[in-house]
Amino acid sequence: MFDVWNNVLAELEKKLPESHYLTFFKDSNTSLISNKDGHIQISVPNTFMQTNICKKFDADIRVALKNNGVEVLTTEYLIVTNKNNRSRETTNSRGSNFKNLSDRVGTVQRIDLERHSSLNARSQNRTGLSEKFTMDNFIIGTNNDLAVSVAKNIIENPGMKYNPFFLYGGAGLGKTHLVEAIGNELARRHPEFKILYIPINHFYNDFIQSVRNGKMDDFRRRFSELDVLIVDDFQFIVGKEKSQEEFFNIFNDMQQLNRQVIITSDRLPSQLKTVDERLASRLTQTGAYDIQFPSFEDRCAILHAKAEFNGVEIEDKAIEYIAKSVETNIRDLESMYSKVIAMADVKCISPLMVINEGMVGVVGNTTRSKVFSPSTVIETVANFFNISPEEICGRSRVAHIKTARQIAMFIMSRDLQMSTTKIANEVGLKDHTTAMHGIKKIETDTKTDFVLRDQLNEIRDLLNNGII
Amino acid sequence: MEINVEQSKLAKALSIVSRITGGSRTTLPILNNVLMEAKDNKVTLVTTNLDMAINYYLPTTLAKDGKITVPAKLLADFVSNLPKGEVKIQVNQEKLTVSEGKYKSVFNGNAAEDFPELPEFDEKSAISFQMGIDDFRLGMNAVKIACSSDTTRPTLTGIYFNSFEGGLYVAATDGYRLAEKKLINKIESEIKAIVPVQCIVDVLGAISDNMENIEILFDEFQVRFRLGEIEIISKLIDGAFPDYRKLIPEKSQVEILLNKAELLRGVKLAALFSRATSGSIVCESKKDEQVFVVSSVLNEFGENKSEIEAEISNDAKVVLNSKYLNDVLLVLDEDELKFGISGKLSPVLIQNKNSFDYTHIIMPLKS
Repeated sequence: MFDVWNNVLAELEKKLPESHYLTFFKDSNTSLISNKDGHIQISVPNTFMQTNICKKFDADIRVALKNNGVEVLTTEYLIVTNKNNRSRETTNSRGSNFKNLSDRVGTVQRIDLERHSSLNARSQNRTGLSEKFTMDNFIIGTNNDLAVSVAKNIIENPGMKYNPFFLYGGAGLGKTHLVEAIGNELARRHPEFKILYIPINHFYNDFIQSVRNGKMDDFRRRFSELDVLIVDDFQFIVGKEKSQEEFFNIFNDMQQLNRQVIITSDRLPSQLKTVDERLASRLTQTGAYDIQFPSFEDRCAILHAKAEFNGVEIEDKAIEYIAKSVETNIRDLESMYSKVIAMADVKCISPLMVINEGMVGVVGNTTRSKVFSPSTVIETVANFFNISPEEICGRSRVAHIKTARQIAMFIMSRDLQMSTTKIANEVGLKDHTTAMHGIKKIETDTKTDFVLRDQLNEIRDLLNNGII
Repeated sequence: MEINVEQSKLAKALSIVSRITGGSRTTLPILNNVLMEAKDNKVTLVTTNLDMAINYYLPTTLAKDGKITVPAKLLADFVSNLPKGEVKIQVNQEKLTVSEGKYKSVFNGNAAEDFPELPEFDEKSAISFQMGIDDFRLGMNAVKIACSSDTTRPTLTGIYFNSFEGGLYVAATDGYRLAEKKLINKIESEIKAIVPVQCIVDVLGAISDNMENIEILFDEFQVRFRLGEIEIISKLIDGAFPDYRKLIPEKSQVEILLNKAELLRGVKLAALFSRATSGSIVCESKKDEQVFVVSSVLNEFGENKSEIEAEISNDAKVVLNSKYLNDVLLVLDEDELKFGISGKLSPVLIQNKNSFDYTHIIMPLKS
């Protein structure tokens, strides 16, 4: 269902004027809640969005849903809030007597407990695991084979050799998939196991709640009963000292009783500032296992598997093109793939045709078909950061201007293959070593600083789409 | 469309509705526009930023049906610079002509059909009440100082309207201080709603002298303030406001009664010497001498100390952020105030001496 909605959004992006798409759909947290025999429920964030999406875009949404193979009888736009049960319906024109309140409340409540990124299939059982993540649909490649063999060992002998299991790697590379797959497999083999999957932010929110309500005993009891604890996105514990302390206690207790603890993070604990050293070293005592970005062959394998899973016909060449053009993460890879498939569906042509016709936008730093000059780079970067090109080529050492200058140099070096001496000339630096340093800095920073990476991708998008 | 309207009325209306246009959300250019619509001899001006909307019913001398949208700020600036008199507005296709005597401008507009629709209210299930405009203004000014601007905790960036034991209260907190005011003594309905502080600021900005009452209407997801001809609609902030009543101490260990103006002067003077310590000043009550001492030290430049006569029940000492103290002293409405200290790290309670409908607490700094 999640994929369908992504496809609908992709189609709306093509169809609607850009300003409308940006205002009403991009980042506005719409999602498909449910589809009961053609009665579609879509969540919207507030009354302003509800009124306008319902009145202005309903027809487009119906068409897009149909194009994605969804039969539509009625559509409903519901506001989904954090306060449970506060949903209000606006039923649309045709067949407005869809009133199964208990059912709807159930749906809406569940969404509150879930993370936005995986609204679809997280099942209601108490583990918090999503059933769509299994070992079967996890593609093994050279980038993750070590982590997978550890995972398999854990499934055979939970709580023994690899306890804790610390898994790290960049966003969208499959950490969550792998650990949830372990959880699901353990749940299948040992139905008596108490398993909990919890993103760390839920952990500390629950912790704070419990402290506030004086229910710490309940909180601790909840964890003391567990056989398997899976903690996702551990990096967000930075700066939450009390939560860390509490986590450490829980962790210690589970260790002593040989109960399995699995942790994911986007970097090593030793690289997390303010994480207690004692905790950091304990977490990685059985080693830390990473998932890397998959190689070209692995990416092709992922796409093949996905196409097979969805029963979609797609040419090898199209897969190769997509695999080649996405160099960020698997999430972007899947997004590009979905776009191509959706577009092929809409236009009734083959995926390869879609690509050859250049009908899909670029995702992340993809193909650089366009040639642009160094001055265009400087101008685009300057525009992006709202400063003047002169400032970039000037001597200012104000932080944001300096970053902009480094980004411009980085793009010239990577995308235009210019030498550092030339680059230094272009931005008015005396010394090419300064350029080298700047380029290096952006290269290292993009690995950890996601904001910077997004900015870089956006600038490259601008350059490739030739707005200037 | 054709409208004749008095310049001062139009200028005022435009200055109010254009407040919310041209914000940071400029992905949709038409949000910079004001929708003008004449229908059945009534003219309305509408603006929205999709979080809020303002509806203004403009009194006119002539109104022929029609509608159009034009850039709000530009039109507002033009009209406000016209001399007093009657302004004529005419629409020809997508152009709006505004003229008064020798002065004339033509504005390129956009079709009214492209303008976002405003959400409707479910009047039946909504809760509505009226109150005096002065009480409203005092109440809002007294609590909005404590609102947070930290968008990572959205629930703290609004004012919390809540009914409690039959009365209606408003409250705000940024985690370091908390303000609560009883707005209405008796209210029938149950209310729990967080109104964005920006909306309150805009409502306060739309108040003018001749208004007497404000009508407030809440439904599940949004709020509407009606002041005379003006309607301001905003979405409510989603989420649960902290259960703040537990934070308010029932009684302070040490109570100090003192003059507000004198304390304010002392705080301002001490603040000058507290820059290096990010505004921290020391407040100390001395029972034997019956003085309240406000002091600060700036190592490099010197130090400061003010002694204020006060009625004091016991000795106590606490370190506070001078800005917070300054803010609350400016919104207290009596000349005398009660200052309660319950220990070095317990919240400081500040109230008027005689009336207790306003409560303000500040968390002390660790010294």
